[in-house]
Amino acid sequence: MSLAMNAPIASYDNMCSHDWIDAPHSTGTSIMAVEFDGGVVIGADSRSTTGAYIANRYADKLTKITDHIYCCRSGSSADTQAIVDVVVYNLNFHATELGEAPLVESGAAVCKELCYNYRDSLMAGLIVAGWDRKKGGQVYSIPIGGMCVRQPVSIGGSGSTYVYGYVDANYKPGMTQNESVEFVKNSLALAMARDGSSGGVIRIGIITEKGIERHIFEGDSIPKFYEG
Amino acid sequence: MTAEVNSYYPDYATETPKQFQFSPYADNGGSVVAIAGDDFVIIGADSRLSTGFAIYTRDQNKLFSLSKSTVLGCSGCWCDALTLTRILSARMQMYEQEHNKVMATPAVAQMLSTMLYYKRFFPYYVSNILAGLDTDGKGCVYSYDPIGHCEKATYKAGGSAGALLQPLLDNQIGLKNMQNVTPAPLTLEKALALLKDVFISAAERDIYTGDKVNINIITKDGIKEDTFELRKD
Amino acid sequence: MAAVLIADYPEPGFSFENCKRNASFVANGFVPPKATKTGTTIVGITYKDGVILGADTRATEDTTVSDKNCQKIHYLASNIYCCGAGTAADTEMTTQMISSQLELHRLNTNRVVRVATANQMLKQYLFRYQGYIGAALVLGGVDSTGPNLYCIYPHGSSDKVPYTTMGSGSLAAMAVFESYWRPNMNEDEGKKLVRDAIAAGIFNDLGSGSNVDLCIIKKGTAEYLRTYDEANKKGVRQASYRYPKGTTPILTTKTSNIDVHDVSITYVEPMDMS
Repeated sequence: MSLAMNAPIASYDNMCSHDWIDAPHSTGTSIMAVEFDGGVVIGADSRSTTGAYIANRYADKLTKITDHIYCCRSGSSADTQAIVDVVVYNLNFHATELGEAPLVESGAAVCKELCYNYRDSLMAGLIVAGWDRKKGGQVYSIPIGGMCVRQPVSIGGSGSTYVYGYVDANYKPGMTQNESVEFVKNSLALAMARDGSSGGVIRIGIITEKGIERHIFEGDSIPKFYEG
Repeated sequence: MTAEVNSYYPDYATETPKQFQFSPYADNGGSVVAIAGDDFVIIGADSRLSTGFAIYTRDQNKLFSLSKSTVLGCSGCWCDALTLTRILSARMQMYEQEHNKVMATPAVAQMLSTMLYYKRFFPYYVSNILAGLDTDGKGCVYSYDPIGHCEKATYKAGGSAGALLQPLLDNQIGLKNMQNVTPAPLTLEKALALLKDVFISAAERDIYTGDKVNINIITKDGIKEDTFELRKD
Repeated sequence: MAAVLIADYPEPGFSFENCKRNASFVANGFVPPKATKTGTTIVGITYKDGVILGADTRATEDTTVSDKNCQKIHYLASNIYCCGAGTAADTEMTTQMISSQLELHRLNTNRVVRVATANQMLKQYLFRYQGYIGAALVLGGVDSTGPNLYCIYPHGSSDKVPYTTMGSGSLAAMAVFESYWRPNMNEDEGKKLVRDAIAAGIFNDLGSGSNVDLCIIKKGTAEYLRTYDEANKKGVRQASYRYPKGTTPILTTKTSNIDVHDVSITYVEPMDMS
């Protein structure tokens, strides 16, 4: 994310060089997750960039950890994919030992452990969200540095800075599933409209006891706001 | 002691000051070749104008006819080439008004040298090759470095593929590194064929040379133009 | 302080003394050697029956063309191929090594290896080297799950995609795909689209050039079409450049005889492989 922000200045440095060839593949992103009674709603945009070039306009940043735990990825693609691969392995092993589905807390803890221990070499901002029998829908935010905190609503990625005010003004405790979906959709649409490195389609996931239900909103089904 | 204590802290990546500079120069590539004979001179330049890995245009003439018997071929930083040639033709016009005659090729050659050196510490980033007929009607070629060093020759290759082409010209016209060859005066046909062939070779190996060659044939009858297609990748 | 009785433990961790040495070389004006980075256009698409990979054949060293007809589509397994862009040596060695690991995997499991396996092995290998192995790859193949196409970046991230381009010509090639790619194309349409995308790279990107190579992978077969299309013809020379005998001077001549003292021939039985 921060690399993408340097791009407009860097381009004067050497106009002939292709910074996007060597630039790391990073997901300048807008991601979000909200708890509601009975589950969580997670959401993300679908743009992934290398420098100023859109490497993938249909990326999936909502990554499965277990059937009931998902991870919203922001930061370096390589780092977050590698983290999730390790977490998936650890949690599957844990589930086998446990003989039942792991808690969301456990998923978040394993993510945090990696993010914290390797904080000097990683660029990863994760939101771990899911449902378990003990605490229902839960959202854990793991920003760069490896902190882990439970939040009823969490936003992340470069696009999130544009919508903190909107989220603070519009989040109401005890929203229904549909209200939560609309809230995530609107927040992401606003973030994507302002942030250059976020865009594409809105991917939404609703995780409840039954598992995940995924939706894609593209084109006209993305909410429209003032575009002055 | 303090240094040792400090080394216990993790070395977090911190933003260091970065200096950004604007470069006033661009390399737009291109190659120029000129060959002189006893009563003619030919000059050719490819028509590709590019930057980095991108092509601006496949049809840019890099030959500037300065008079009926003098042509300048420019490659390198194209904006400098445009500025240089604009001032050059203005200076030639002033000469014409003052002396009531067209500038002869050797005179243009000398003036170009002084004009380049005038900007010794902020040079025109251009590789120049001047071709023309002298006052006796004999073909002559002058080549320059960006700050005004001038060299008279009978054949010269310059620009992005200059280093690739010059040895071939040395061998074929200068008859270098050959035994048992009798020097014969260069005909226009031989010179034209060679000029086209060296550009074919340059287009094979130099990424900044390609698309088309513009050729000017300068004789006592004036300047004749010709073109020749090259590969476009 | 060196103890007499207890041996000194060596300094832990890596030694960076060569890095300091190299930095001082550079500071004193030594130009370090550069690896060949090939400007490239490589692409891949999925179509009805499988995947088609495409590549140009130009290798460059700075602004000079060092190879006019090089191979950029690498073999990984009989059902998986991989296009490479970036540092030439890295793409070559990475694909060779993963190819050998995939073959061992196939022999161990007695199954056709899956593209997802190749993807995971490649990305984990590249991630370990934190981008210092400059290999940008387009990985394609057909397995029990159907056609699969991945695009893998030097830092170790990968995307599963229906169509993709990489290398310095990727923008030109992607422009073609974004205009004309659609799901479920037939083989002829797919081949034409990939050719057009590579041709766009060849003509509009100076780092790419020469010919078009294709590789069509379907269930059970892989067809490697070397020089599928010669995008532009070489110019025809006007004059002849043959040198008559005696043009090259012979400076000295020296003749020495080879004395053969003894000849012995040993027959080796071939190893019994049955």
